[in-house]
Amino acid sequence: CRSRGCEEEGKHFSASLTDFLFPVFQQELDTKHDKYERLVKISRDVTIESKRTIFLLHRVTSVPDAEDILNEADVKLDGVRQKIGLIAEELRGEDIHQFHRAFTPGIQEYVEAVSFQHYIRHHSLISLEEINARLVFMRTETHEHKGSCEAPPLSAQVLTFQVTPSDYLLGVADLTGELMRMCISSVGNGDIDTPFRLSQFLRQIHDGFSYIGNTGPYEVSKKLHTLRQSLGKVEDACYTLRVRGSEIPKHMLADVFSSRTTLIDPDEGVV
Amino acid sequence: MNRRDGRFRKHFSASLTDFLFPVFQQELDTKHDKYERLVKISRDVTIESKRTIFLLHRVTSVPDAEDILNEADVKLDGVRQKIGLIAEELRGEDIHQFHRAFTPGIQEYVEAVSFQHYIRHHSLISLEEINARLVFMRTETHDAQVLTFQVTPSDYLLGVADLTGELMRMCISSVGNGDINTPFRLSQFLRQIHDGFSYIGNTGPYEVSKKLHTLRQSLGKVEDACYTLRVRGSEIPKHMLADVFSSRTTLIDPDEGVV
Repeated sequence: CRSRGCEEEGKHFSASLTDFLFPVFQQELDTKHDKYERLVKISRDVTIESKRTIFLLHRVTSVPDAEDILNEADVKLDGVRQKIGLIAEELRGEDIHQFHRAFTPGIQEYVEAVSFQHYIRHHSLISLEEINARLVFMRTETHEHKGSCEAPPLSAQVLTFQVTPSDYLLGVADLTGELMRMCISSVGNGDIDTPFRLSQFLRQIHDGFSYIGNTGPYEVSKKLHTLRQSLGKVEDACYTLRVRGSEIPKHMLADVFSSRTTLIDPDEGVV
Repeated sequence: MNRRDGRFRKHFSASLTDFLFPVFQQELDTKHDKYERLVKISRDVTIESKRTIFLLHRVTSVPDAEDILNEADVKLDGVRQKIGLIAEELRGEDIHQFHRAFTPGIQEYVEAVSFQHYIRHHSLISLEEINARLVFMRTETHDAQVLTFQVTPSDYLLGVADLTGELMRMCISSVGNGDINTPFRLSQFLRQIHDGFSYIGNTGPYEVSKKLHTLRQSLGKVEDACYTLRVRGSEIPKHMLADVFSSRTTLIDPDEGVV
């Protein structure tokens, strides 16, 4: 008798909790998950457009004048920055860390693309500050004034997106793979200056990453391994050019390097 | 002689590069863009189907399931709209080139719609019934077009395999709510599905083997629940059933064997 009374009371109490608290939780979680999903979709678009920009930029090695390609790349990257502006709007007032994993792939790919373009233009590494300086978005909102004949005043809002140092690092690590690719293809086109310049540049980046070692984000260790391989390929290309270069006619260089790079297997050691 | 060959070859290959490859690029970019759109629609289908399934699980804790089933109808109509978008993207395309883009969403939809069908009719919805509801009318000026989306048998199978996991979950929660009929009915139903999958064995899509393993675990949990009810049920007061089953299901580990 007493247990039934308790049971009824218990049911009544827990029914209230379920009826009122959980729908609130559901609404909160659904909203958060929907935002996360929107960010994933935008990030995918950023990734795709950045990758296409990188493919475009690779063509500078095979045309005499790089300016057209660089201008086209500017247009594409402006489009990517628009999308990053959408990310910034979604993140307004939110805890960025809760959504970071949604947009980090796109941002890393953007860093890779924009640093690649910067290297082609200036032969140097773009800094994180320079990247973030271009991720400033103006949002103009209008306020309604009741009973006023004047034009409503505009309030300009400045929205920024800050690339984190770890996303910057990981994007630069991916950049080294693209630079290696550019090195090999430029040799195949008869360019014998670029490989040496790239070799020095990649060596500096590699040394920088070695300073970080295991203290950075965990993905860095994997990328450091890939970076070493890229550096090895580039230095091997320079070796071949310097030591064996006089033996090989220019139009044969492409063939020599396509066979050499397939032989460069880390398990086999230096060929 | 060598130099002339080199110059000739460069000139010839420059023409090919200038004219053929941009065409290839355009073709591939278009295809990849379509694939990406399908992936995005498929993600929406997956999310909305999953939410429908969560909704449908609540039928065990309310006396009248009708409201929930009607709400689920509305959600599934929304999902069907999205599948209509998929059908439009696939119009005139080779479906197999894009199948991997939308297959997760379609499997999740099959899971949701078959779950709702079971709750209403206690039977398994057939592939024909599913496809019959995926017919879309597109009215362009003076021209009514009928667009269909056909769920493939393998997507149907994989969706039904996932359904069994949801049915197992429903079984355990219904027992916790004092329902002692549903588990036995579900046990028979899952046994039949399991036997059907065993007929297929290794002849189906490769994902079936993994799901068959999960299905056996689900069937084991459901039959164990029925055993507990039948053999030990008279000992346990109804309001304690929820506690008994929450501890029992944590003990059911395939490595430990039947507890």
